[in-house]
This record gives sequence, structure tokens and C-alpha cells, in this order.
Amino acid sequence: MTIQDINSPPGATGGLSRTRFFLSNEFGLILLIIVFAVIFGLSARGFLSPFNLFTLGRNSAINIMIGLSMMTVIVTGGLNLAVGAMGVSAAMVCGWLIEGLGVPWPLAILGGLAFGAALGFINGWMVVRTGLHSFIITLATMSIFFGAMIFLTRAEAFRDLPAAFSAFGKMKFANYLSPLLLVTLAVAVALAWLYRATLTGREMLAAGASPAAAELSGIRVDRMVILCHMLSGGLAGLAALMLVARNGAAIPSMAGQLGQDWLLPAFLGPVLGGTLLQGGKVSVLGTVLGAFLVTMLSSGLLMLQVGAFWVQTFLGLMLLVAVLLDKARRSYLARRNLA
Amino acid sequence: MSEQKAIFEARGIEKAFPGVMALKGVNMTLMPGSIHALLGENGAGKSTLIKVITGVHLPSAGTLLLDGTETQFSSPRDAIAKGIGVVHQERNLFPRFSVAENIHLEQLAAGYLKPINYSALNEGARPWLEALDLDIDPATPVSELSVARMQLVEIAKALSLQSRVLLLDEPTASLTSSETERLFTILRRLRDGGTSLVFVSHKLEEVQEICDRVTVLRDGANACESRSMDGIGRHDLVQMMIGRAEGAAAWRHRDTTGQPEVLGLSDVSTSLGHKGVNLSVRKGEIVGLYGLVGAGRTELAKAIMGKFKVTAGKVQVNGKAVTIPNVASAIHDHGLGYISEDRKSEGLILQHSVLANAGVPIWRKLAGRFGALRDKRIHDAVLPYLQKLEVKTPSLNQTVANLSGGNQQKISVAKWLAAGVQFLIVDEPSVGIDIKTKAYLHELLRELADAGTAILVISSDMPEMIALADRIVVMDDYHITGEVTNSGVYDDISHAIMGLIHDAEEDSGAVVPLKEISV
Ligand SMILES: Nc1ncnc2c1ncn2[C@@H]1O[C@H](COP(=O)(O)OP(=O)(O)OP(=O)(O)O)[C@@H](O)[C@H]1O
Ligand SMILES: [Mg+2]
Repeated sequence: MTIQDINSPPGATGGLSRTRFFLSNEFGLILLIIVFAVIFGLSARGFLSPFNLFTLGRNSAINIMIGLSMMTVIVTGGLNLAVGAMGVSAAMVCGWLIEGLGVPWPLAILGGLAFGAALGFINGWMVVRTGLHSFIITLATMSIFFGAMIFLTRAEAFRDLPAAFSAFGKMKFANYLSPLLLVTLAVAVALAWLYRATLTGREMLAAGASPAAAELSGIRVDRMVILCHMLSGGLAGLAALMLVARNGAAIPSMAGQLGQDWLLPAFLGPVLGGTLLQGGKVSVLGTVLGAFLVTMLSSGLLMLQVGAFWVQTFLGLMLLVAVLLDKARRSYLARRNLA
Repeated sequence: MSEQKAIFEARGIEKAFPGVMALKGVNMTLMPGSIHALLGENGAGKSTLIKVITGVHLPSAGTLLLDGTETQFSSPRDAIAKGIGVVHQERNLFPRFSVAENIHLEQLAAGYLKPINYSALNEGARPWLEALDLDIDPATPVSELSVARMQLVEIAKALSLQSRVLLLDEPTASLTSSETERLFTILRRLRDGGTSLVFVSHKLEEVQEICDRVTVLRDGANACESRSMDGIGRHDLVQMMIGRAEGAAAWRHRDTTGQPEVLGLSDVSTSLGHKGVNLSVRKGEIVGLYGLVGAGRTELAKAIMGKFKVTAGKVQVNGKAVTIPNVASAIHDHGLGYISEDRKSEGLILQHSVLANAGVPIWRKLAGRFGALRDKRIHDAVLPYLQKLEVKTPSLNQTVANLSGGNQQKISVAKWLAAGVQFLIVDEPSVGIDIKTKAYLHELLRELADAGTAILVISSDMPEMIALADRIVVMDDYHITGEVTNSGVYDDISHAIMGLIHDAEEDSGAVVPLKEISV
């Protein structure tokens, strides 16, 4: 149990880590997804039809992206309540660049994403500068960003977007797979690589886990916090652009009043997926699975003719149950000394 | 002694963690009116045994007997209620709460809705602080205290419970000898009053001074069980702990006068209150910075690293005047490093793995194209140091929080040894490290210096200072009061150092009278 053992290369897995996987969040989510897929497949007619699978994929692509956007800030031990407001603002900028300035659409998309990142910079910079919790800062900027956006757009949508946009939203591979889902999965893989195998990602995690220790080890904690917020803004913009592709128009109210419709999916993904709210630990796979489960549940419940409001209630309940279950799981593991 | 009945007994205690069998059937018997030493190498299972006895861990097997009857503790609170108090190795204070609130945490208010009487609370805390000669206002938030003072507050908290059995897990690890003496006076008084004490320490001189019985653990088993200290010498203790004799490499004369200066401070003042500090460390030199707790040594170190502002004077690195804006710049641009005295909150990221912790300072150096960082490279860079310090862990993927205190400390040190900086500040490096590893650590630091690293050692442990330093600079109350060239002769040097401290105190008229202790 001494030094000999630490000679084994990193990542060497024994039986122990296999048991750990079966006790992990990700495994639990996969089980839940299978269970609910079977239930809905048997009870809701048309749940497994190509068309429903297509919409399910498209919607989960957007929800997962929203969850990832929140996750990147949770890494720092913070929150981003302004995801919705930032995302919609970024999409509106993209629409304006196309319709107002005649910028070619690929450039306009980049412009929109950059704008999202810029809004994230504002959040991050203020968090670092004031030392206040990001909860307060993003609560304020949520209203500011959204209000300014409504004022500048006069609450009007950009509807004359190039056909490429809605064509992308409607495109199907093999009759049921939306390319939007592929975009999301590509982003998720990139994020997983970022956190696992790059300097920046590791520094983000270290800064989130223990700012004092990270600083004394030579990490610019303030920069990392700002960078996490910028990443969050960019991803929120991407989620909104995917929504634009789905709707065929950039609409100021597409994320609800103040962008609040996004909050529940934004938290559900990371929290179900086991990303620590205290920061410093992240599970990209968990967030993807969590957000997918949520999308599947709402879709299935709607097909079972459960009213839309009940679906919201159900999702809220689910957030609570997930958190409580996780707490129970943790204390069980701690008592049995399995983790 | 022999007619006396044991107050507490642990029989056949086993405790398993995933991948680790921490205790393999350990026995210990505690007598009233006795100070019982619990010894063993890092990771031998001392803290685990203490946590089992105080209701933190449920044992996997074995029985606990209190006054001869079998008991079980459902929680730490339960153990306290049954008269068992403890000072854990790791700090367990609430940083934002005041000293008094922390001390009375278990008995804050009479009822759930009854308001807390703060002035009574503060008054109640005062005698315990005074007993330890701890001159702080009970209303001070704990977060403002230094590590050593937090340790004393923790001890005060345990004393205030007035328990029958009191277990102290390395209480003296970050105390200087005068504070330790003060603590010992109290412990002796408690012992004479019939309390049963357990004392864990890696400083064998302390153990021999104060303990009358001893239990030694080795790899989770008894190497000796609850026997009298009569006739047991230091040599026997070491033999039982590590299975062979101690091989401490002693101080040796090192001459670096011809070498260029790596770090120089001239007339430096800081935003924390240092005034006119002059200090010079040459290439390959080991300079000691000694002082009592609160002298401003750690603070000076952090100011050098750019964590706090230098408000006047000149800081020179390799002869060039520099302004260091932040810690990252100190490390990456100027090649300075700082091993923190506070491993738990500043040295380590407890929830991350051993490998993730050990590599942080060299991540930037090891990153390849696009900032890609491969575990293999980090692994290769840090492993030699982890091995030389004999870090005991089931794997490099183990979460650091799950390691024993001493092994955590080794990682906090190893990560800087691997960092390859040209100037290294080492702040209390051997807190909690066992004697065997301490000798290795000293040897490693000397090797590092021989290879050209300039080292500034801050330590409250005078023998350590004298074993390591070429030159010892003494600091008192944020001023440098003088310098002693080390000759390796303990009595001369310690005398000279204490002289420098006391002269300074008499000058400023701030001699602290030894108060009567009233426990
Ligand atoms: N929570 C935990 N999870 C997993 N392993 C643990 C845990 N706590 C302790 N261990 C392991 O149990 C063994 C004994 O640890 P313990 O803390 O009791 O050592 P110790 O004798 O107090 O050492 P030190 O002198 O370093 O404080 C170590 O190998 C340690 O890694
Ligand atoms: Mg210990």
C-alpha cells in the first residue's frame, strides 16, 4: 500500500473503480433513461416514431447546450442566472447583423457568439471586481441584458433569416437524427477534453475547487473566473442560435420573460449529472445525460396528455428529488466508506 | 497504578476504507491521571483510531469500553456527552464565527429560540484563552487568526468541555516551544486532576517529556500496546515505529559566500506592517527565518510572492529590481515558489486527486500544443518526489482529503520540490511529518540547495531550523532583529536566537508576563 502502488500508471483501473462507476450518477441516469424510454415506448403511442425521435433529439440538443452553459459557471462555484437573457441577446445580435447590416450569415453567427462571450465577460469581470457572489451579479445583469435587448429591438423579431438557418433546423439524417444534436455532442466532447486534458480546463477546475490554493500555486484565479463566464455566454448564444434554427426566426421572447424559461433546464442538467454546486468538479457526460432525461420526460409526459403546467411541476419536483437522492447516496457511500 | 481501573479501552479495533485497511485489530487502554502517547509513522492509523474512539468513524470491528462497560458512539456529540473530548489533527473551526462562538459551539444557547448572550459567551471563553496565554479578543473571527493560533483556539475549545478523556491529535504540530511548554503545564495539571489524556506527536522529545504510557502503531497494528514509558528511550520508540534505527542526516557546513544573490530585499515595507526589512538569499544557500508565532514571517513570504503589496524599498531577483504584481507572475516569470504552512486551505485542493495536486505548479511548463496536458507527463515529473518522501496512498488517483495528515503534507511539499523554481520559501515544511520522512525531507532540501536553489526556511521547530539553515535571520513583530550564523551546535544557536527575540521585546517594552494559569 506504499510506494509500489503509486508506480502504476495514471488511470489504471481496478475493481474498485468499476464498482464506483455503478454507484455513479452517470450510471443512474443511463438506467433512468432506459426505464423511462421503455415506459413511454409502451404507453405513449408514437413516442418511438421517427418524427418524435427527431423532435426529441432537436429539443434535447438545445436543452443540453443550456445545461452546459450553466455548468461552465458552476465549475467556479458560481451560478449564471442570466443564461437565457444572454443567449437571446446574442441571437438577436446575430439576427440584426444579418438583417440590419447585411453581414453574411456565417460571420453573423460568429458575431452572435462573440457577443454572448462579451456579455459573459461583463458578468465575470464584475464578479471578480466586486467579490460578490455571481448569483447577485447575474440576477442584476439578467434584467439589464434583457431590458436593453427589448429596448433596442423594440421587442420585434428577425424573421427574414437566410434559408440556410431553418433548413439546418429541419434537416434530418436517416429520417430521425437532427444535426443540431451532433453540434451539441461535438461541443460536449470538446468540453470534456477541455476539462480533462488541457491546461485551461484544469486551471478552471482548480480555481473553482479552492481559490486560495490555486492562487498560491500560480493560477490566475480571476482570469479563470472571467473565462468561465465568457464560455458560458458563448454556449448560451449557441443554444439560442439553435433555437433560432428550430423556429426559423430570432424572437425576443423565445426564452420567456427575462429568459427565465431556461433556468429549469439549465440547472436540471448539471445537478442531475452530478456537477458539484460548490465548484471544482464537473461531469460533462452527466450534464448531457441529465438534460436528455429531462427533455425525454417532458416530451413523454406531453404525449401522455399531461398538461404543460403539470410537466413544469413535475420537473421542479424532479430537481428536488434528484438533489435529495444524491445527498442520500453520498451519505450512504460515506458511511460505508465507499467514496 | 496497577490497582487503578482503566477508564477507557479499545479492543480489537478494525477499520477499512476503500482500498485501505487502516486499522487491523488495535488495542489501547487508557488510565485515569495519565498522559498516553500514541505514536506511529504517517498513515499508521493514529488519527483513524482517534476518530473511532470519538465517534467520528464507526469501526468495522472491535469493541469500545467506557469504565468497563461496552459502549457505542452514534456521533461525535454522543462521545462528548459521555465525557470524551478531542482535538483533531485538522482544524475544525468555523472561520466566520468568532473565537468565543467556536469555543462554545456545542452549548451556544439554552434553547432553540433563546437569543445568544454574546457578552456572557465572550466572558465564558476568556479563561480558556488565558489559560493558554492566548492574547486575543474572543469576539475576533477565527478567519483572522494564524494557523498556530487556530490550533490554540481548538485546544481551548476542547479544554472548555472539561472531559474525562481528552485526545489530542498532534496539538503541537504548529506551535513553537514556548507555546508548547504552556500547553504542557496545563496538560500536567489536568493529569493530576485525574483526566486521562492521549497525546499524538512526531516530536519525540515532547513525548518523552510529558507522557507516562505509550502505544505505538505500525501499519494499522500495535507495535506496542499501552505500556509504561519507564525505561523506554528515544531509540526504542523509533525502533518500534519504523522497525529500525533513525538515520537523520545532521547539519553540515555549506559555503555559499561566492555565489550570486538570488533574492534581495532592501528596506522593504509591506502593506501588512513590515518595516525596513533587509534580507538576502544567495544561490544554493539555505536561510532560516525564525520568530515566534505572529512575528510576521508567513506574511513576509506572501508579500515576496506578490500576494500582498510591497509599499516601500526594493525587491531584487538575480540582482534586478522587480515589482511582482501577483503570485502567478512570481512563480512563472521570476521562478519563486512558496510552500504554504496551511496545507488544508492554501496548500492543497483537498477534493482533487494526488496527481492533480502534485502537478499544479508545473502544469504550464508541461502543457503542449493547444495547452494539451497529458497525465503521463505530470506523473513522470512528480513521481520521483512523491516516492522520495514515501507518500502512502492506494493510488495517485486517490482524493487528497482521504490521506493521512502527514501524507497530505508530503504532497504539499513534493509539488514544490518538483516545480524546479530558483528560489523556494518553505513555510513549516514538516508539520505532521514523521521522523523518518523528516530526515528525507531535510536531505531533499539540502540536495535542492546544492543544485543551486536558494531556500528560505520558516519554521517554529528550532531543531529543524538548526539542522537545515546556513544562516538564521530572526524576526520579531514585523522587524528583522538580527542574524546568527549557524554552527550546528544546538545550545549556542538557540541561545543566540532567543537572545535576539528577547532583546527586541525588552526594547519595545512588550514583555509578556507569564500569567498564573487557572484551569
Ligand atoms: N476517509 C478516508 N478514506 C480513505 N482512506 C483513509 C481515510 N482516512 C484515512 N485513510 C487511510 O487510512 C490510513 C491511516 O490514516 P491515519 O490518518 O489514521 O494516519 P495517521 O497515523 O494519523 O498518520 P499521520 O501521522 O500522517 O497523521 C492511511 O493510509 C490513510 O490513507
Ligand atoms: Mg493523523
